[in-house]
Parts: sequence; structure tokens; C-alpha cells
Amino acid sequence: MLSTDTLYLLYLSAGFTVGFGHCVGMCGPIVVTFSLNLKKRSILVPQLLYHLGRITTYAILGGVVAAAGSFTMVAAHIERLQKGVMVFAGALIVLLGLAMAGWLPIGRIFGDHSSPGRWISKGFGKLLKLKSTMVYLPLGLLLGLLPCGPVYTALLGSARAGMETDSVYRGMLAGMGLMGAFGMGTVPALFLVAKLADMGWLKSRALIYKAGAVLMIIAGIIFIIKAVRF
Amino acid sequence: MKRLIIIFVVVLLTAFFLAAPGPISAGDKYQELINCDLHAGPCTHTLGGVEVTLEVTPKPIKAMQDLSFKITLTGKLPTAPKAPYIDLGMPGMKMGPNRVQLKSAGNDAYEGRGVIVRCPSGRRIWRATVIIPAVGQADFIFDVIY
Repeated sequence: MLSTDTLYLLYLSAGFTVGFGHCVGMCGPIVVTFSLNLKKRSILVPQLLYHLGRITTYAILGGVVAAAGSFTMVAAHIERLQKGVMVFAGALIVLLGLAMAGWLPIGRIFGDHSSPGRWISKGFGKLLKLKSTMVYLPLGLLLGLLPCGPVYTALLGSARAGMETDSVYRGMLAGMGLMGAFGMGTVPALFLVAKLADMGWLKSRALIYKAGAVLMIIAGIIFIIKAVRF
Repeated sequence: MKRLIIIFVVVLLTAFFLAAPGPISAGDKYQELINCDLHAGPCTHTLGGVEVTLEVTPKPIKAMQDLSFKITLTGKLPTAPKAPYIDLGMPGMKMGPNRVQLKSAGNDAYEGRGVIVRCPSGRRIWRATVIIPAVGQADFIFDVIY
């Protein structure tokens, strides 16, 4: 059996390699969407908050599977929730893409004068505009639940590590630590993708910006289709 | 308005085209690599002078469920062989390390439990690489039910 320190390092490096080999393709559209949506604002804090939220969710899931000692049991319980999160992520990408291209009159649809359910309209408007940097933290917490093969694999290992400890509490901590390490490993690849989408020349050209918005809409619809099939 | 509708229809069609199953989807690209129908029964590969037989139960093989992996070795085996193990992965996509540790079940047979995870991309082709220390490794490529 590997020592805990070695396991943490293994999970960190697994996250790093999987980040470049998998996450960039699967979750890249999400971080690119956030980057493009931030326009001229710095992406550093919002992206870090998003990743912090995502890693926190991974750690919680790691703790739960390790304490339960079963990956399949926990996975079966959260399957529907994950499907919902995937639909939400797709819808969010589509809406932000439409808003970016200027095809979604957010003001008219979600504005203060849209009478019934005014607070809901306001809330959606805020979320869509993402004016508040802090909104990226709950988004990360929620999107950390997205169904993902490598995350499942890491959770599988966390469940095993949990089973090999002498108490549920220690197992839970081990699971949380391992998933936290895995999540941290995935950050560089996704951050790099977000940074590439943040290049000034890209955002300053209206046509490229609009093309990016169209690609986002396509990616969002694909997310939704995949969620329905999941 | 008319332009907007046209753009939206094009976007929608492109998304459906990219996400559609069939020969255009990424999943089928690896279909030709399949060398084993584990749903039908055990598969055997020859590695040097050793025959490696893999059986996965329960059948049909579904993702996200506990599976039992059994390896049987026949032929010229090294004296005092170390237990083989299985690395599960997907051709053309990194899924993270997923190792099935095997324990001796007697008569050169080894067993262990593992899980094949589900990939939201919809790809179903998986590879079980059986590693036999001091002998080599054999790839069993098969499809999994989601």
C-alpha cells in the first residue's frame, strides 16, 4: 500500500495530467465562457474562486465516498442531481453566449419592470451579468458536481483509501485530502485555457468576439444534449 | 430578426450534428480497436508463451457498477510469479489511474473488484490492460453499456 503522502502526490499529478488530457476538452467551454464574459475585468480572482468552489465540492464528495466506503453507492444517489447540474451548465453557457453576442435582451427579460416574480428576475439578471466576483464561488461549488470520468476515477480511489483507514473519520479526511489534491492538479490546465481566451486582441475584435459567442452557444447546446442522454 | 433566426437554426443544427451518435461521433472512432466481446464470455490473448484469459462479471458489463475481474494464466509462467493487475482506461482519452488489484484464486487464476466509470462524452470503448510482471502486458478492448 502506498503512503498517504505518496497518494496525495499521485492524485495531484493525476489531476495535472488529466487536466491537460481531458478537462481542457470537456470543461474548457465553461472557463472560456467565464473569461469572455468578464470582458475587460481581470479573470484571476473569479477563476480562482470558481476553482476553489469546484475543489471544495470534490473534497466533500471525496469525504463522503471515503466515509461510505463505496463509490457506486454514492454515485447512484447523486446521478440525477449531476444530470440537472449538467443541464444548468449548458443553459448557463447558452445564455451567456446569447448575452455576449447581444442577442439576449437581458435588460428587457430580466429587468426590474418585468412584473411578476421581480426578485427572481433580478436574481437571474445578476447571475447572467456576473457583476459580482463572488458569484463564481457558488458557481464552482455547483459545477463541481458535473459528471466527469476522471473525477469518478479519483473518487473510486478515494473510496478505496477510505476503506483502508482504521476509522471513518480518518477515512473521510483522507478522501477529502485526495480529492482536494486531484482538484488542485486540474487547475493549471483550465487556468491556461481561461487565460488564452482572455487575450486582449481576441476580446477587442467584435467579429471574433461574436464568433466566440456562437461557439459558446453551440458548446452549451451540446452540454444539454449530453445531459439529456446521460 | 430573420438573420437572428437563421443564425440560431444554424447553431442548433451544428450542435446536434456534433453531439449526434453514429459515424460522426468521437465514440465510433475507436470502434475498430475492439478486440474482445466480454459481454459474450471470457477473452483470451497470447503473450509470449502465456495465454491470458480475462472474464468480467456480471454480464452485460455496465459502467458505474461493481465488477469482478478474473484473470487465468496458462502456459510458460515464471517460477514464483507476482500477481498481475489490471489498468482500466479509455483509448484516446485520459481518465485518470484506475487500477484493479488482483489476488490469487488458485490454479494460476487471479481475481479482483473494480468499477468502469461513465464518461459524459458518451464514449463507451474501454481498455483493460492486464499487466503480468516479468511476462508483459495484454490489451483487451471492449465496449461497455452506459
